[in-house]
Amino acid sequence: MSTVDSSARHHPPARPGWAVKLLGWINVLLGLVILGLGIWLIVLGGSWYYGLAGLGLVITGILLNRGSMTAVWVYLVVWLGTLGWAWWEVGADWWAQVPRLVAPTLILILVLLCIPALGRRRPTY
Amino acid sequence: MPRLVTTAAAALLAGSLPLHAQQTDTTETPPVATTTPDTDTSGDTGSGGTDNPVARIAPDSGTGTDGADTAQDGGDIAQEVPSEGTEDESVAQEAPADTAQTDTAQEVETAPETTTGDTAAETASEETDAAQEAATEDAATAQDATTEGTAQDATTEGTAQDATTEDTAQDATTEDTAQDAATAQESTDENAASGTPAAETAAGTRGTDTDATGTDQAAEAAQAGTEGRTGMATAPQPLMELGADWPYYGGDAQATRYSPLDQITPENVGRLEEVFTYHTGDLPEGTAVGKYSPEVTPLKLGDDLLMCSAMNILISVDAATGEENWRFDPGVPNDAIPYGASCRGVSVYRNPEAAEGDPCATRVIQGTLDAKLVAVDTETGAPCEDFGENGTVDLWQDIGERVPGWYAVTAPPAIVRGIVVTGAQVKDGQAEDAPSGVIRGYDAVTGELAWAWDLAAPEQNRNGPPEGEVYTRGTPNMWTAATSDEELGHVYLPMGNSSVDYYGSNRSEAENEYATSLVALDVTTGEEVWHFQTVRHDVWDYDLGSQATLLDWQGTPAILLPSKQGDIYILNRETGEPLTPVGELTGLPKGEVEPDYISDTQPISEWHTLRKDPLEEKDMWGFTPIDQLWCRIQFRMANYQGFFTPPSTDGPWIQYPGYNGGSDWGSVAVDTERGIIVANYNDVPNYNRLVPRDEVTSKPINEMQAGESAGDNAEGAADPQAGAPYGINVNAGWRNDATGVPCTRPPYGGIRAIDLETGETLWDRPLGTARRNGPFGIPSMLPFDIGTPNNGGSVVTASGLVFIAAATDNLFRAIDIETGETLWSTVLPAGGQANPITYEVDGRQYVMVTAMGHHFMETPVGDEVIAWALPEE
Repeated sequence: MSTVDSSARHHPPARPGWAVKLLGWINVLLGLVILGLGIWLIVLGGSWYYGLAGLGLVITGILLNRGSMTAVWVYLVVWLGTLGWAWWEVGADWWAQVPRLVAPTLILILVLLCIPALGRRRPTY
Repeated sequence: MPRLVTTAAAALLAGSLPLHAQQTDTTETPPVATTTPDTDTSGDTGSGGTDNPVARIAPDSGTGTDGADTAQDGGDIAQEVPSEGTEDESVAQEAPADTAQTDTAQEVETAPETTTGDTAAETASEETDAAQEAATEDAATAQDATTEGTAQDATTEGTAQDATTEDTAQDATTEDTAQDAATAQESTDENAASGTPAAETAAGTRGTDTDATGTDQAAEAAQAGTEGRTGMATAPQPLMELGADWPYYGGDAQATRYSPLDQITPENVGRLEEVFTYHTGDLPEGTAVGKYSPEVTPLKLGDDLLMCSAMNILISVDAATGEENWRFDPGVPNDAIPYGASCRGVSVYRNPEAAEGDPCATRVIQGTLDAKLVAVDTETGAPCEDFGENGTVDLWQDIGERVPGWYAVTAPPAIVRGIVVTGAQVKDGQAEDAPSGVIRGYDAVTGELAWAWDLAAPEQNRNGPPEGEVYTRGTPNMWTAATSDEELGHVYLPMGNSSVDYYGSNRSEAENEYATSLVALDVTTGEEVWHFQTVRHDVWDYDLGSQATLLDWQGTPAILLPSKQGDIYILNRETGEPLTPVGELTGLPKGEVEPDYISDTQPISEWHTLRKDPLEEKDMWGFTPIDQLWCRIQFRMANYQGFFTPPSTDGPWIQYPGYNGGSDWGSVAVDTERGIIVANYNDVPNYNRLVPRDEVTSKPINEMQAGESAGDNAEGAADPQAGAPYGINVNAGWRNDATGVPCTRPPYGGIRAIDLETGETLWDRPLGTARRNGPFGIPSMLPFDIGTPNNGGSVVTASGLVFIAAATDNLFRAIDIETGETLWSTVLPAGGQANPITYEVDGRQYVMVTAMGHHFMETPVGDEVIAWALPEE
């Protein structure tokens, strides 16, 4: 993917295909929910993770909708942050990791799957 | 963030949690004492006497008695029994008792009777007859002593019986006895020294064989003698032996759930195969649908399994083939179902004064959902005509207005010295003006009320309330199984809370004194001996749900008590004094609802607790980040200051552990040989809120129209608590409203082994796989141990196996007691929320559990009774 990325980076955002757009909108939607609830949790004195992660998800979704490769990088940051946070909270308690890691990782896979699409657009111009 | 439903995660849980705790009541174990011939004897005799009766007795118990005195006194006896040392010693023999049990030292068994001097004495005194008096001193002796003459007299009441008895007793036994006695003595000397005869004895006690009639009976008789048939209990009666049989709800009279059988071993358990499945045919119909939680544990006696079904149909089944011998349906209507249709078990009583073959010489006694005691002949299933009215005693008597489903018996009664002791489940959360929690003792033969213990008016209502009055309303009740102590003549009652669980400012001092306490009653008088409170001013529904276990602990006759908070206490069962360290929490929050009532101190066990650390935000769970996040918000919005957070109404509060335990009615198993306690437990919070009266929409059960359903919701969900300023809303297991997934991380239940000497954990593991649980109730089929909520206990065998179902994964499994590893498991056709048993027929060991499901645990309903054994060679 690195090759794809670099090339993509120098071109105007591609027009993403429907699948990428769908994922983009899903991310925006989920991101808004998590951001909203996450802010509530912060107000209640709880973890900041959700607010931040929700924000990252919204940005990822917007970028996906624009066909920007930056979406991948943003989400990678979100995912790595999630990983670190999850380990910090519960370590090797795998059942406890389920809600923390499973869904974010699924999204990571979907986002990574978008890379060829994001890259492939370029040739059409 | 992702959130797709990740399935994997999902697996978990959802369904799992249910747990309920409390239901039911009653007692358990009945001791059966068969014999009886002379019974009287004992009473009086106590002292030196020795008539034959004694003789017989002697053997066994040899011990029994205190012996020493006796020895001296009683001429005959004396001889046989070597004097002094004897009793104790005898005990001693038994003492190994713990062991003994295992072994089966039959003869000895009697030992129990041996009451300790004190006890004996006390008892005696209580009794009225002259004999008693005599006995008293020697008390200890009493056993031996049976002088016939005396005995008879003493017993006189018994009259006819007595006469006969004596003769018999005498002849038969004497010689034998003597011998035994001797032996006993010898063995015992050492013990004697130790001084704790009683204790030891007790231990030993269970040993008794049922079979050995001749001797045992005699012995028993002797013991029994004491009682006389006055109607009141007096002398210890012989215990039935655990081994080939499973004669008591808790296995042996001590409720150890430890079997001496060892044919099935860790090495061969993998070869277990199903021998038979018996269907009771009792499945929910009509309004009973969704309310079944049978929780049935059969007894095994002789060739038969004896059990009740969810709706109290008494059934006898061939223990080797699963063929039905007989059934007796008392016709319990659906509207009698309180929270759930449960009948945890039955009890057996052998009338020591009946001849073999007499109708109801051996009888099955159960308490029913419609609040009756029912006694039938174990051989035929025919109602015992001598018991109450045609085999039935109405427990609604003197309770007040009959409201079906409000007052129901769901646990087997305890039978001690011929007295059937029962409490009842009083459906939680209905009203302060609720049926009394009175505990009553009935003559096991005639069904006559022997005494009542109304904790708010013990003296006034001992023989029933005055004309036109009822037992004190709304008092703490006992819905679970009590433990009987033939030796000391005690019955140990794990009491629940007052009828309104979550508000207490208007409770009486008596309620505050006894709620959530273990209470020891003298079964011969119905008077309290001691009580030990586990929660002060309980507003959390922390009813004591586990049957306590009798054991010898470091030389002291003790009782082991697990609680819903997870604390395990070991008490001196003669005095109630803790033998293990009890700590005190101080500075606990008092809340805003009733700060003057909430106690800012609470006892805890510093010896062992099953309770986990307080919850933190990071313990919140779900199967995606979104539901986890929602639970975190709920966590932050709730009042939570750790263990014993007081109820609140401005917002929800978190109760952890929740009312399902810790340890609930499945109780614990105690491997007295290895010195290991096996405890399965729940690890689940509740999310509760007190609902202001004007927001309460539910009505108490006594105001419901006929046919109106109280709903199938979990206990405490939207209960009215009429009479209190608040209703209560409990989210049992604190589950996500939308997905049903728990808000806290697994495990939700576990099983652990605890060193009986030190209280240290030997191993601890989750109990239950994720196979049946998942979000939205979809089974995940994941075979991983996640630790599900569980209800029902375990049985431990001498070969080192722990058998347990209990979890919501519908598996029945064998666990290695040394390592905690699962060695064998099989899928049940329905939920296995019941205690398993093990027994032997014709040299073949069987393990059995009932698979009947549980509405609160959300496992599928069934009517199966299933037995497994090794393939026949």
